[in-house]
Amino acid sequence: MSLADMQQRVIHALMAEISSTSTFVETEAEALSGRFQRLVLSADQQTARVESLTNLAIGIVVDGEVVPIDRIAGLLENTLSDVVEKILLLSKDSMSMVYALDELNANVARVDKCMEQLGGVNRTTNMLALNARIEAERAGTAGAAFRVVAQEVRELSKVTQELAVSMQAELATVTDGIASGHATLQRVATIDMSENIMAKDKLEVLLSALVRRTDSLTSIVSDAVREAELMSADVGGMVTGIQFQDRMRQRLEHVVDTLQVINQAIDELKHSSIAAVPALATDAPPDLEWVKGLLERFTMSEMRARFVAQLLDGKRPDELPDHGPDASGPSESGSVELF
Amino acid sequence: MQFQLDNNSSIVRMSGEFTFTDHAQFKSMVTRLFETKDAPVVIDISKLEFIDSAGLGMLLLARDEAKKNNRPLVLRGPSGQVKRMFGVTKFDALFDVEE
Repeated sequence: MSLADMQQRVIHALMAEISSTSTFVETEAEALSGRFQRLVLSADQQTARVESLTNLAIGIVVDGEVVPIDRIAGLLENTLSDVVEKILLLSKDSMSMVYALDELNANVARVDKCMEQLGGVNRTTNMLALNARIEAERAGTAGAAFRVVAQEVRELSKVTQELAVSMQAELATVTDGIASGHATLQRVATIDMSENIMAKDKLEVLLSALVRRTDSLTSIVSDAVREAELMSADVGGMVTGIQFQDRMRQRLEHVVDTLQVINQAIDELKHSSIAAVPALATDAPPDLEWVKGLLERFTMSEMRARFVAQLLDGKRPDELPDHGPDASGPSESGSVELF
Repeated sequence: MQFQLDNNSSIVRMSGEFTFTDHAQFKSMVTRLFETKDAPVVIDISKLEFIDSAGLGMLLLARDEAKKNNRPLVLRGPSGQVKRMFGVTKFDALFDVEE
């Protein structure tokens, strides 16, 4: 009869243990589920952030429109080509004007030479007129007509000389203007734009590098988006998977219920046995060796302590200071003792 | 810049640096080149070390002269900085450039 009592105590202890374990697992699972749900939310937010990075990697937002980097590079390339073309045109036109001014300068020099010759002719003419006048005076009356012609030639020479002086003055002004224009043009034409032209070369290299980097970045971000989506899906699956505690609780309830039935059967057997053999009703000492053998099978000390309290001291589960693996809820460090 | 133009030859060899200061010399050389009868006119620039934007402008004027005279103009053997300038300005599309 003491064995039957002990078996009933074991059944009660087992039922209490199963119930508290079920509660413990359910609490831990719910806490884990909550953490996983927060993880899902974070993963979704992370995916959204990475997706927004994709837009940043692809291009620059201008007036609400994403302009791709390669299009920006193309625009810059066209602009730079246009600038280089204009520099070439400017250089060519400047040099063309330099050539034209050189020609003009040569023409003016030739005109100046002509003016010098004209001055020489004028001096000779003047000298001839003077000589003619002297000869006319020497001829007396007979040279009167000749004197008039000599005077006219002298007047003509004087006017021509005045005209030549005036033309030389004008020519000097033109020469000064050409020299000034040439100097100005030289300043323009000697501005070396080769560095500006070569800047296009450098910028093209930089733009190519920028486009390549953008492509790499886009590829990396795309991979990151895929990974983030996979991570979200995995975490979502884990949240669903962790809902096992409902099924586990139902199964354990069946086990507890079965143990209850067994306990009742033992109880009925015990009463029927006492009715048949009243001598069995006397209290017999518990079979400590059997209990010891049972307890030695437990590798968890706290569980062994609870069984000792219930089996040997006869305490009820609700009288125990701690009648579950961790009835207060999940612990941060994990209260499961591994063995 | 130094240049070497043989008598009655339509090939000129340029060396050194080709800049604005060479404009009178270059113009005279181009005039002499197009007075020759042989075709094409060749400017050998394989020894030319540097060219500035004024130099490029003068080559473009030489190209106009070639068109006016209906004579082909070849730029031969650009290298170094000159070749890079030709590349950036796409001179190979404007001239017959021989490597």
